[in-house]
Amino acid sequence: MSKKGAVRLAGVGKSFGQTTVLRDVELEIRPGEFFSLLGPSGSGKTTTLRIIAGLEIATEGAVHLDGVDATLLPPGDRDCAMVFQSYALYPHMTVFDNIAFPLKMIRTPPAAIDAAVREAAARVRIDHLLARRPGQLSGGQQQRCALARAIVRKPALFLLDEPLSNLDAKLRVETRVELRRLQRALDVTTVYVTHDQEEAMSMSDRLAIFMDGRIVQIGTPEEVYQKPATVDVAAFLGNPPMNVLPARLAAGEVVIGEARVAAPHLAALGTRDVMLGIRPSEIEIGAGGVAATVTLCELLGDDVIIDLDVGGLLVRAKASGRTRVAEGERVHARFDPDRLHLFDRTSGARIAA
Amino acid sequence: MRPGAARAAMRGAALMVAAGLLLAVWVVPVALTLLTSFKNEKEVLAYPPSVVFEPTIKAYGAVLTGPTNIVPNLMSSLIVAIGTTLLTIVIAVPAAYAFARLRLPGKKPVGFYVLATQLVPPIGLIIPYFLILNRVGWMDSYRGLILIYLTFSLPFAIWLLVSYFEDIPREMEEAALLDRASRWQAFWHVVLPQARGAIAVTVTFVFLNAWNEFLFAVVLGGATVKPVTVAMYNYINTEQTQWAQLSAAALVAMLPVIVLGILAQKHIVSGLSAGAVKGVSRR
Repeated sequence: MSKKGAVRLAGVGKSFGQTTVLRDVELEIRPGEFFSLLGPSGSGKTTTLRIIAGLEIATEGAVHLDGVDATLLPPGDRDCAMVFQSYALYPHMTVFDNIAFPLKMIRTPPAAIDAAVREAAARVRIDHLLARRPGQLSGGQQQRCALARAIVRKPALFLLDEPLSNLDAKLRVETRVELRRLQRALDVTTVYVTHDQEEAMSMSDRLAIFMDGRIVQIGTPEEVYQKPATVDVAAFLGNPPMNVLPARLAAGEVVIGEARVAAPHLAALGTRDVMLGIRPSEIEIGAGGVAATVTLCELLGDDVIIDLDVGGLLVRAKASGRTRVAEGERVHARFDPDRLHLFDRTSGARIAA
Repeated sequence: MRPGAARAAMRGAALMVAAGLLLAVWVVPVALTLLTSFKNEKEVLAYPPSVVFEPTIKAYGAVLTGPTNIVPNLMSSLIVAIGTTLLTIVIAVPAAYAFARLRLPGKKPVGFYVLATQLVPPIGLIIPYFLILNRVGWMDSYRGLILIYLTFSLPFAIWLLVSYFEDIPREMEEAALLDRASRWQAFWHVVLPQARGAIAVTVTFVFLNAWNEFLFAVVLGGATVKPVTVAMYNYINTEQTQWAQLSAAALVAMLPVIVLGILAQKHIVSGLSAGAVKGVSRR
């Protein structure tokens, strides 16, 4: 693990005039970690990244980089490199000059620049394109050029702002793997902003989930997926997302409309109104359980997404693509009682079972 | 031929005709001037105007080497136009950049003021400018006339350049700042090269306006500062109008502007196409 690139945000907030876009951000990113900032658009994740980069100054709290208070440090003194969503390549320079730019700014001797540029370009496999201009590259090549420009000077911290969002679906999945491999090989602390939960889940060591300018949960991908801290996080993660239904706990049973699911292990929680969460993949069709009507089937190849009407509530189930059900068919859906997530009806906070 | 192709060909032909007409409107007076400049006194006054005649370059001789030649006046025009253009660019480029980028208090009212100066009819300013220059003793001086021209060219140039600078994505500069460039280096290496086309356009307009200006030059100039626009008036006097010399002088005076246009053309075109770079978002 690398020694450089520790980030600590202490009580960071940001307001633009009267509008507060970020509040009370507490965050600690460890050296060498691949850390994602995940959230819907407008949730404050990009602002947080820009505060780490020094492109925005926090209006509250402090930013520490490798133990040094960097709250007011200009961007160039922070030893971080960034890949922008638009790539922000310099259109009037060749690929070579784009990648060489950070080195020229720190007065690296020309011979060393040449070697470093070729090495960085080779790492992202654009070494045959060095004489071109950004306008003559494909979207994927432009993205690689931006990556090469970021890695060429071996920064302590690597900041990526939705770098894959301008690529087509197939290339995005490929680049995802490659980016992760690159990060491992360079062993550089990486902060990755994305609104794509699949990206964040598959790439990150840990991630922070942003909602409405706050961090609602920090954890490993497994932690946030298995134990979402709030009903919003639960509904944000997973594809299709978790079903969230109003329900009532009573005497070891969960009552959803007319249906009842026996859950003796929840008896200790007493009688109360809750929000019940259950992932589509934890619902089994046809093996007993609550009565439901199939309203829609979407075959995705390996899987089929089945929309069910359970006492007037829409519940989605995900089953093997070989499951044969017809729209309008009456079926039984079994909710795995051990996989139920419970959230407070008013605050939305997770209730520990 | 497919119907689509036929329609495209028709459209092309219609565009060519329209462009041809527009060109004719511009070319006919220039062609007449050109013909007149090669005529002798008798041919000039012939009616109907002769098209076939024995050409002579006497008028050019008079204009370039005769006792009333305009060479010193061309120099005068060049000093005024180049001086105005250089100062305008040196001041307007950083000013426009500041307007486009920095969060300055009072940016909006100042921006409006800059544009509002363009609404004042120049003739209304002649007397105040005359009084001001007279008071500071700058009448009939290059610094005086250039200063007056700057009051028109600067607001115009700033206004023109601001929109170009605003089109250059902020993220490019932010990338440069993160790559350890200073604000100045980000401006010099990243912003300025992309504004080349805009600067070429501005140079052309400002130079052209200063070169063509007559009103202020005739009132605020004099024996020392006498641009070619004013000097050409020598060929029109109470006894006669020397049409051939006037035409020759007009054509000679057009040359620097045409040369500048040709030089700037490449940059103007490259400036326009820079906006089409694929995958680079323009905010």
